[in-house]
Amino acid sequence: MNMNRLLRIATDLGELKRIHALVEEVGKEASWSPSFIYKVNLVLEELAVNVINYGHGGDPNHEIEIGLDWDGDQLTIEMVDDAPAFDPLEDAPDPDLTSALEDRPIGGLGVYLVHKFMDDLSYRHEQGRNHLTLVKRRKG
Amino acid sequence: MEINVEREEGTMIAVVKGRVDSANAREFEQVLTEAIGDDHNVVIDFAGLAYISSSGLRVLLMVAKSLRQRSAHLALCSLSTAIREVFEISGFDKIIPIHDTRAEAVAALG
Repeated sequence: MNMNRLLRIATDLGELKRIHALVEEVGKEASWSPSFIYKVNLVLEELAVNVINYGHGGDPNHEIEIGLDWDGDQLTIEMVDDAPAFDPLEDAPDPDLTSALEDRPIGGLGVYLVHKFMDDLSYRHEQGRNHLTLVKRRKG
Repeated sequence: MEINVEREEGTMIAVVKGRVDSANAREFEQVLTEAIGDDHNVVIDFAGLAYISSSGLRVLLMVAKSLRQRSAHLALCSLSTAIREVFEISGFDKIIPIHDTRAEAVAALG
């Protein structure tokens, strides 16, 4: 079953629930596992929050475009925003995953989780906008 | 998101239900910190937790650090498979003890 959805959200944390609602809806129709739904939700939240908090410094007057394309076997996500150029594949530092509790820095995990949960990621900056393409395949 | 406090054998149990995301992480931090108060043995029960993102992990790390500073003990229990995976990938299972059941967590702290 092929499914195609496009969602435009404002750069406001209150919009996250619209992302979650869409993923739940598509996941249900496409019979994704709870774990697949969770990971897609998490990846979209982490990326959108980066754009909202860091890309636009909390300014809610911008837009993020999220496209979901499910072909029955793999999900392709397209995210487009007009924040300053930021390539989460190159520009995000690796998190510290091994220090003791006392020394563990707070934060920096979001983009790392995105890498872990997606099968393919690519980034391009085009006409002043960030374009991220992410692919997640159904396994098993 | 909702947090209820229960007690078992002198251990305080914070039972978290619902979703913890970037939109309510600050509320999660406030409610959890208030619920814990100055207790010394704390279990956070995630049986009813449907979703948590890195913003929730960030709160847990801050809470774990502050408990450690006053030599209090913290354990987590009853994580779903997907949530447990997030904790493992993030290396949190190495700094906060995670137990399968509440009974095991309480026993470990007692």
